[in-house]
Amino acid sequence: MKKSVLFFVFVVFAMILASCNGAAPAGDTSNGDSSGGDTTSAVPEVCASDAFGCAVVPAGQTVKIGMGAPLTGDYASFGVDISQGAAIAVKDAGTVEGFAFELVAQDTQGAPEGGAAVANKLATDPTVVAIAGHIFSGSTEAAMPIYDKAGLPMMSPSATNPPLTTLGSKVFNRIAFTDAVQGKFAADYLYNKLGFRKIAALHDGGAYGQGLADVVQAEFTALGGEVVGYEAVTPGETDYTATLSALAAKNPEAIYFGGYVAEGVVLANNMKQSGLENAVFFGCDGTFGAEFVEKTGANGEGAYAASLIPPQSEAKLKFDADYLAAYGVGAGTLSPYTWSGYDAAAVLMAKVKEVAVLGGDGSLYVPRGALVNAVRTTSGFVSITGDVTCSDVGECNTAGPTFYIVQDGDWVQAEK
Amino acid sequence: MEALRKKIPLTLPQNSIKIIRIIAALLLLALVIVRAIDVAAESQFGADTWLRLSVSGLIIGGMYALIAIGYTLVYGILFMINFAHGEVMMLGTFGGYFVFEAFNAIQVTATDGTQMSFLNANPVIAIFLAFLMGMTIAALSGYFLEKIAYRPLRGAPRLVPLISAIGASIFLQNAGQLLFGPQRRQYVNPVVLDRGIGWNLELSGSTVVLTYTGIFSLVLSAILMVGLYLLVQRTKLGRAMRAVAQDKKTAALMGINVDQIISRTFVISGALAGAAGVMWGIHNGLFNYFVGFLPGIKAFTAAVLGGIGNIPGAMVGGLFLGIVESLGPAVLGIDFQLKDVIAFSILILVLIFRPSGILGEALSEEKV
Repeated sequence: MKKSVLFFVFVVFAMILASCNGAAPAGDTSNGDSSGGDTTSAVPEVCASDAFGCAVVPAGQTVKIGMGAPLTGDYASFGVDISQGAAIAVKDAGTVEGFAFELVAQDTQGAPEGGAAVANKLATDPTVVAIAGHIFSGSTEAAMPIYDKAGLPMMSPSATNPPLTTLGSKVFNRIAFTDAVQGKFAADYLYNKLGFRKIAALHDGGAYGQGLADVVQAEFTALGGEVVGYEAVTPGETDYTATLSALAAKNPEAIYFGGYVAEGVVLANNMKQSGLENAVFFGCDGTFGAEFVEKTGANGEGAYAASLIPPQSEAKLKFDADYLAAYGVGAGTLSPYTWSGYDAAAVLMAKVKEVAVLGGDGSLYVPRGALVNAVRTTSGFVSITGDVTCSDVGECNTAGPTFYIVQDGDWVQAEK
Repeated sequence: MEALRKKIPLTLPQNSIKIIRIIAALLLLALVIVRAIDVAAESQFGADTWLRLSVSGLIIGGMYALIAIGYTLVYGILFMINFAHGEVMMLGTFGGYFVFEAFNAIQVTATDGTQMSFLNANPVIAIFLAFLMGMTIAALSGYFLEKIAYRPLRGAPRLVPLISAIGASIFLQNAGQLLFGPQRRQYVNPVVLDRGIGWNLELSGSTVVLTYTGIFSLVLSAILMVGLYLLVQRTKLGRAMRAVAQDKKTAALMGINVDQIISRTFVISGALAGAAGVMWGIHNGLFNYFVGFLPGIKAFTAAVLGGIGNIPGAMVGGLFLGIVESLGPAVLGIDFQLKDVIAFSILILVLIFRPSGILGEALSEEKV
């Protein structure tokens, strides 16, 4: 109750600020928010009919893409990495009607309060047209109502908390796939691609791992398969042979594991001596990574895992090279979201190009409501992470995870 | 009738508690048996699964037993729980690891002219030295632990050294983290003792692997336990230890250097924990500075289960706990995640029905 009142005050404050600032740089003729008939022919007609009016970018200024990201603090590597990925997208995007794009990344420190503060700041800048963010789910949730009021479309590269798209926001969309999506794809891959009919699901008892195992169990059963065993392991132990031996008695063709690499390694190592020598270890994005291969050795051969890291493509190779050249580190070393950071910004800028209109006074007019709709109805946009198509609640992650398999001591992309 | 009624207030509480206890025990036992028969009738698991579970339980139980002996030895002599014992084991694990790493780095030319690491060329020497190193480091840390953390508190109330032990445990854990880093390391075993391979037994249509590392650990822990038993029962040092455990003052009057015996007890229990640590590394592979925590708690449980202060009790308790953890969930047909629940429920039941443990507490004069 108290929170929502606070938000309301924030929003009102933000809107007042926004309208004040909106008028200032645009001078006397081009106030996009005004709905009166005093506008000259310089203002495109579309602005008058748009639900949120137009963002007006005066000649000589840049069209800004906002981003709320943790740029300092414990999670700084995520924010820095994703904003760097998005910055490359800005560089690649070129211009719209002669106007250049600019990325404005603001520090949220990953916290909800920071998210709201950044949202208020960005919502007051008339030249900010869209938000590539936020990065963390909590910060995103706090920012959503503010952008909703301001008519700023969001495209988050990394907010994976499933309920975010059920809150009824018109502006929120995301590229990152949620755990629910990952589980669905994993079950489908196990059933249809690998042809398994009997699997066992394991998890580490955590919200993330159990959530995944639950989804896989439900989806695999729905597809017509049988989940013959469902067990949890205690995290931190180094011997799971008892649990695995009990599962082995039910002859599963694969072991799906939702959890992290520490337990994944032990499970993969213990499978042969537990009577599961013919079963396949199928992990999730928590078990993907160099450590798995390094610590399982021969036992890890043929194990699967999911990853956010998109399949190799020309676009990805070009991005990886650009990233390395610009920042001196390999793409993906700071966080696994750098590619979705690129894509989030790229989608938004492509949509800005679609709706932006050059006014008679040389300013660029971006109808906000039209942009919100354009982003939500994105369909078939092909970029690094694959096909970006948004559902009517803003899940734009139809491409799902990429599955990898260990072959000769390295992760390689598994057959699609 | 009247006479009986008058007696009741005096006798009933004691007797009724006893009777209630026995009834409760019988009911519980019946419940467990019914459930076990029920599960067995479903024949969910074949002989192969039972064998796998038993072997896995015995192996882990052997290691618990070795560590539990350390708790029991120290308790028998000082009446304190050395909660830093798990950390002593952790240091032993690191000791063995660095020996293997060093030998793995040395390249030698084998008799047939091929290049291989010293580790694979001379696995017996490498394994022997790894155990020697692990046991020495653990024994030394046990020795200094007693000197620094417990000896100054010898006359203090019993709770004080207990707190000191917890402090020492946290200190050693953090020291391990600072010295060796928080990342998980993996033992590089000689090829002959590779993890996951072993004798293959064909049983009811599937292959049961008796891993070399597991059998090796089990045999070695049995040898060490027998050795310790002989040491305590047959040697002069053992007799002195038993004397100090029974009555420190009288032992001192008989010419036994009590402080020295206490030091040696810590050295022996440290060495056993070190051996368990190296076994843990060889059999399970992955470890870091935190490796001693869980086995430490489990071994403490095992020592209490068997009857703390009682050496054969610690051995029985360790093996019993390992087997119960491994077989319990299968016998009762419940989730394996609940294995700790079963283990600790059994601990509680044993403490209720037999407070002195399975084999009984070795009570000294002082304690009585």
